Amino acid sequence: MFMNSNLFEPGKSKPERSFVQLAVKQNQRFDGRRSNECRDVELTFGADWGTVAVSMGDTKVLTHVTCDMGAPATSRPNEGKLQLNVNLGGVAFLDEVQTTHDQRSLTLNSLLERTFRSSRSVDLESLCVAAEQHVWCIRVDVNVLNHDGNLYDASTIATLAALMHFRRPDVTFTDDELRIYTEKEREFIPLLFLHYPVSVTYCIYKSSGQPIVDPTLLEENAADSVIVLSFNSYQELCSLNAGGTAPTNVRTIMQCARNAATRCKSLVDFVRKALLLDEERRLQGGRLVNGLVALIGNTQHKLSFNKLMSCQKQEPQPAPTEKMELDNESSEKPEVEEIEVKEEPSKQETGDAPMDSSGWLPQDEDSQELSIPSDASTSKAGKGKQNRSKNKANKKPQQKKQTDHSDSEEEARQYI
Amino acid sequence: MDVEKDKLRQMHCEFNPLSRCDGSVMYSQGATGLIGAVLGPIEVKTQNLSIDGSYLECNYRPKAGLPQVKERIREAAIRDVLELALLSEAHPRSKMSVQIQELEDRGSIDACAVNCACLAMLIGGLPLKCSFAAVHCIINEQGEYVLDPDQSETLHQRASFTFAFDSVEGNLLLVQTKGAFKIAQFNDIECLCRSASAEIFQFYRSQVAKYHGRSEATAEKAEVMET
Repeated sequence: MFMNSNLFEPGKSKPERSFVQLAVKQNQRFDGRRSNECRDVELTFGADWGTVAVSMGDTKVLTHVTCDMGAPATSRPNEGKLQLNVNLGGVAFLDEVQTTHDQRSLTLNSLLERTFRSSRSVDLESLCVAAEQHVWCIRVDVNVLNHDGNLYDASTIATLAALMHFRRPDVTFTDDELRIYTEKEREFIPLLFLHYPVSVTYCIYKSSGQPIVDPTLLEENAADSVIVLSFNSYQELCSLNAGGTAPTNVRTIMQCARNAATRCKSLVDFVRKALLLDEERRLQGGRLVNGLVALIGNTQHKLSFNKLMSCQKQEPQPAPTEKMELDNESSEKPEVEEIEVKEEPSKQETGDAPMDSSGWLPQDEDSQELSIPSDASTSKAGKGKQNRSKNKANKKPQQKKQTDHSDSEEEARQYI
Repeated sequence: MDVEKDKLRQMHCEFNPLSRCDGSVMYSQGATGLIGAVLGPIEVKTQNLSIDGSYLECNYRPKAGLPQVKERIREAAIRDVLELALLSEAHPRSKMSVQIQELEDRGSIDACAVNCACLAMLIGGLPLKCSFAAVHCIINEQGEYVLDPDQSETLHQRASFTFAFDSVEGNLLLVQTKGAFKIAQFNDIECLCRSASAEIFQFYRSQVAKYHGRSEATAEKAEVMET
């Protein structure tokens, strides 16, 4: 009856899938990005500690961290608790079809759990006040505002930024009496971290060996498999989530991992930098911090990845103070623009450097131009698939699909 | 930081910041901010189906955690106002879904949430009999009336009031009061809020006109023609 009754998602229909497959094969993306190019990440800090809104393109996530006193788990009596909650309902309107909703929130929750809790990124022992009696329970609420693909990265970045931004009140425990100090009495204390993990998502298609990073909803839904890798700033792997039906060889996964490691490092650097800027602003503005209201209209309080990281590359040493001035005083806006303009030509090298620097595997560093190596890899993938489908063909009538694919492959070859 | 006591705080809004709903708005009044989103008419579950009108679903989500009693009350207030204003006969056997997400709570969140819902309905193109606006007002310790108070001002209050009015006849759609006050004071504050609601309606008009590409001057002219 209604067109929107099942909340139609892009990328679920067959024509859309074949369109994306074909585009990926030609090394094109619908929004004009290259296969290893990410969308810009924007951070906005709220007025309260531990409130962060992250946007990557149209994907928007709001994260809020709260804490309260509680009893520890009996198995770990000297550790605080970290609770991660994902909220998909609400303004994102993702909750209509129950099956996908459950699946989505489960995968997202488990990714966050593995990235932050299982990898022990937050020092939970420092959250213990009295063993077996009082510990801090940290609760992270991830509210999805809008879903346009790559909810994984958006929520891990938001969670990391919120946890790093968060401060808990000071507390003393003497003579069986617990005393929690207000912000006026004693300054709030930031959480302690052992390492800083962030995730990067790749999509892999049967039609091409080249994985694409930071997929939109269209690309994500049409993907044959999605790989989510979490790395910390020391470039250690924290979690790997690879699923789907596309045959992926070890090489592809290693390629993804290498790029993801550098990307994660620069993301953590970005979050740190943004936090520094936010702190300065708080010192300057006093109680005039307008928090998340800054999301509306003016872009001054949005801290964007491209802008911050490109500034840093141009002038590594005096960057922080200068940027402060540039960001805060609107009178100097022209200068900002100038810098940006200057940045344009060099962007191609510097902007993508974090992703390219370690490159794909050393053998095919220039696989960008779809030269021989990548062709080889596609044909490899193709072979693998054919073998697979042969096996399948014995059992299931999958031949139709197979012919479809081979058709499109031929077409694409002509194009190239 | 002393704000005028008989003025509304500065209002801002941004239309359609979200891509996956029929209409959405980011609305702020002073430092209080919310996101509202609407979807409709959409398919309704059979248990909620009604043959002579559409079913209204209204959810309010706090910034952290699950909705508690306080949020449920707020949600009920928004739903009550919306049900009065919604032209539900236009789409029987369907559902209208309104979601409000809190961003920052810095005072008078009840009134802001109602205004946010109204703007979301307007921009989402859902049928309304009339638009509506809510105003919050308190009596502070000195017995003064403070219109649209900030959070710092609400710490010491004798009574608080929230009124919602419709745009056509100026009827009262919602009254919420808390604390002790005299009837005369109630009447005074109702007048105060009624006049303030006119300002909010003016804000709606100018913002929607701006969004749809009409300059404010022409919007005003059209208004004069109407009256």
